[in-house]
Amino acid sequence: MFKHLFKLIWNKRKQNFLFLSEILISFLVTFAVFSYLTYYYQNYSRPLGFDYNRVWSITYDNGQLPKNQDSLSTFYDNLNKSLKAMPQIEATAFSSNNYPYSDSFMSTGLTQNGKKFNYVSNFIVGADYQKVWQVKLLEGRWFLPEDVVTKDKGVIINETLKDQMFGKGKATGKFIGDFDDKNKLKVIGVVQDIKSNGDFSPIGNSIFIRLDTGYLKWTGTLLLKVRETADATFESKLYKFMATSTHGAVEIKHVDEMRDSRNEVTIIPMVIFIIIASFLIINVALGLFGVLWYNINKRKGEIGLRRAIGASGNLVSYQLVLESIILATISLIVGCFFAVQFPLLNVYNVPSSVYLIAMLLSVLFIYLLVFACSLYPGKQAAAIHPAIALHEE
Amino acid sequence: MIRLQNIEKVYRTDTVETLAINGINLDIAKGEFLSIMGPSGCGKSTLLNIMGLLDEPSKGLIKIDDTDISKFSDQQLAKFRNQKLGFIFQSYHLINDLQVLDNVELPLLYRTSSAKERKMLASEALEKVGLSNRLKHFPTQLSGGQRQRVAIARAIVGNPQIILADEPTGNLDSAMGNEIMDILINLNKNEGTTIVMVTHDESMAHKTHRLVRLFDGSQVQ
Repeated sequence: MFKHLFKLIWNKRKQNFLFLSEILISFLVTFAVFSYLTYYYQNYSRPLGFDYNRVWSITYDNGQLPKNQDSLSTFYDNLNKSLKAMPQIEATAFSSNNYPYSDSFMSTGLTQNGKKFNYVSNFIVGADYQKVWQVKLLEGRWFLPEDVVTKDKGVIINETLKDQMFGKGKATGKFIGDFDDKNKLKVIGVVQDIKSNGDFSPIGNSIFIRLDTGYLKWTGTLLLKVRETADATFESKLYKFMATSTHGAVEIKHVDEMRDSRNEVTIIPMVIFIIIASFLIINVALGLFGVLWYNINKRKGEIGLRRAIGASGNLVSYQLVLESIILATISLIVGCFFAVQFPLLNVYNVPSSVYLIAMLLSVLFIYLLVFACSLYPGKQAAAIHPAIALHEE
Repeated sequence: MIRLQNIEKVYRTDTVETLAINGINLDIAKGEFLSIMGPSGCGKSTLLNIMGLLDEPSKGLIKIDDTDISKFSDQQLAKFRNQKLGFIFQSYHLINDLQVLDNVELPLLYRTSSAKERKMLASEALEKVGLSNRLKHFPTQLSGGQRQRVAIARAIVGNPQIILADEPTGNLDSAMGNEIMDILINLNKNEGTTIVMVTHDESMAHKTHRLVRLFDGSQVQ
């Protein structure tokens, strides 16, 4: 029966062109949607790598601060001590502007054994950065005060970068080169990957460099881990304190709110895309339903004949559903040929698994759609009275 | 072979009730070639459909090969039609998208037979109707007479005991009609196939063993 149906479909390929095209387009649309969703789901399912709760960021105007490096260093030490003395504050850390959810990016290049690693997120961080974010150390240690005077500049890298550079072996104590491999950096620790650009963002390579006195003049961000007792009154008090201390504009943000707005940047287009794709799929489903319905009306004589020569109603229904499935398979083979180019050509630098999962889900979805759309017309075909169908023809 | 007892067929709509067949009793013996005649709308095709189990009578009993088919399910009826009956239609009812050989194989698809066996039986059937040189043609590439011969091959490929022919020569000129009639007569004579044929053509009807005339759904001869 399968061979017979395939022969019938092949001989009617011109008439089936519309159906085949509809399935192909639907597959490509669902493949795009599922690639999008799989990519974000895979990112979402990875651990965040830090705790954003009760973390506040304070950005301030550093234009009014002392220009002299020593004076500036003393100013920051005093500021830090004053803040830590506040009972509502658990930990403080100065940071470059690209802290999690800040929507600010800073990257650098690294070298290891002659191999270049580009677009590595570069976090310049204060000593208590780990305490503020609760970043998990996987090996080695975090920065210590004595690191300032050590001969080798210590850096901390994330797990992904460590795996790429050193595989499964230990990274602590090993050296890596900076962008042009002129200066050597000693790996002193490895931290768990962090998703600093939102829950749906991919994990890239990251390096943490200790914020030294030379960087202080560029510093304009202070991160605080506050205690539960930190309320609006405290925030107001803190604002006044910072404004007085820095003699300029101050902005306090709650990182959990920043996270929500950062996630919205991903979620809103995703929802819009899904809605548009759903409408498209509904239209395609109605189209398929219409094409099948039309085909059945056009093939009433054939259906009547098949009933007369030995096909039961169920068999007629089964045949029509199977025909649709075979047609869908032809379209899916063509669609998969196009889809498989994405992982092969590494389009958009997305992991191959995203495209392969999306392909699988799209194939299942299309089969389900075609099955659902052909079920009712198939049932109607089974109900066609053979005597009437043969007479009409 | 076929026994019809007090067969009635009524078509009902919301407002009208039409009696298409009115109390027909008919016994058709094994190996008999019977023709049914009558004016248009007298119920000939309806009676043939009832005999072919394509339509249910409103009343009465049908027995084919001593089997009462009134309690048969859709599946049982389909199987029965496939194994016992062959159909020939005025408009051939060939599938234009399939080659001649595939068209003839159709009834065998609903049986458990191998592709090789199907091909062999279909080729044999086509040889019987003189079309062994047209296996790979499509129906649209054939003349009316050739198409009807393909339809006959399809009807006989499963070796049925009964062939029901609904105006098999109706769309053909007299020469072609005679050719088709000769094939049916030979089938009846050589294979012992029971044939029931509806026709408008008096000369064709006279070539059969027995003629039944219908008028307004009733048997008049």
